Amino acid sequence: MRDCKLIRESLSGWLDGQLGTSDAEIIRLHLESCASCDGERRQLEKLQSSLKSLLVSNVPRIAFEPFWAGVRERITKKRSWHEEIMEWARSTFAAPGLAWTVPAVIVVLLGVFALDSFWKLGSQRNNFAAVESIDAHGRNVALLREDETKTTVIWLYQNQEGEDESSGENTETSPSF
Amino acid sequence: MESSDWELVQKCQAGEIGAFQELVSRYHQKIYVVIVGLLRNREDALEVAQETFFRAYRKIKSFQGGSSFYTWLYRIAVNMAIDSQRRQKRNPLEFRETMDGLFEEQNEVARDPFSDVHDRELREKLVASINDLTPEHKAVIILRTVEGLSYKDIGEILGCSEGTVMSRLHYARKKLQEKLGAFL
Repeated sequence: MRDCKLIRESLSGWLDGQLGTSDAEIIRLHLESCASCDGERRQLEKLQSSLKSLLVSNVPRIAFEPFWAGVRERITKKRSWHEEIMEWARSTFAAPGLAWTVPAVIVVLLGVFALDSFWKLGSQRNNFAAVESIDAHGRNVALLREDETKTTVIWLYQNQEGEDESSGENTETSPSF
Repeated sequence: MESSDWELVQKCQAGEIGAFQELVSRYHQKIYVVIVGLLRNREDALEVAQETFFRAYRKIKSFQGGSSFYTWLYRIAVNMAIDSQRRQKRNPLEFRETMDGLFEEQNEVARDPFSDVHDRELREKLVASINDLTPEHKAVIILRTVEGLSYKDIGEILGCSEGTVMSRLHYARKKLQEKLGAFL
């Protein structure tokens, strides 16, 4: 906080009395010893008083009765159906009203990608299309289909004697072609 | 004894238009000052202020008291003023003319705090610099300067965090400081 750059970034909050006690004290002590930052503080104070003069002092007071008459007229006036629709559309589709659509669109997109990758995984599982025993001597035919590269492999192999068919990964096979 | 805002709101929700009239009398000047600050045009500000109270009346049944009535009302006012300002920007020449008209009116006010030429130039430069700010930056400056609202209340009105309010205020003041330069 002792760095002039950091002090100047916090000056605005300090002038508004919105900083914690310890931060406020650090800034106060720094301003006592740094003429440059103190000059910045004076500029900000002048800016603030000029803004106040411009924005508050020059605005006239408005009479209540005619103001209320205008509000009351709006309340009692029957609005046409298209004015009602326009008002509904404006409040519904105004920027703050649409804020919920951003996370909603993200969730929908994530859902679509998740389903897409699920289907792709599913199709990868189905790449191994079929394994069929073709005779009583342990000879099998396997049909493998890889969707992404559109590759089809037909593989004939024979189980080793005494091996369980389910342990196909460790099975020595002898491709016939 | 004077009723609280919440008591008046509850009466409004029960259909008492007199209670709403009381709320309007409490806040019409404050709302008007904020909208004038955002629009820099008195006639437009009057119209938007009346429309703000009309909207508030239409929506008052949905107000549950989760925030204070005035922050809820300011939120409607700021949104309407920003919306109106964006529509006005379609015709910037007309906007500039009405702003010049405002200067003339202000010069006729006897209690003008900008008494000498330097201050008059500063005021003109200040108006132009404020108009160059984005609506969001302008809103934090107005709500803080005019109403002296806390960062928490400003955050509730603008729908952002206190940290965002602090950074927007810092940025907006920095911009004004840069543009006003030697005048400060």
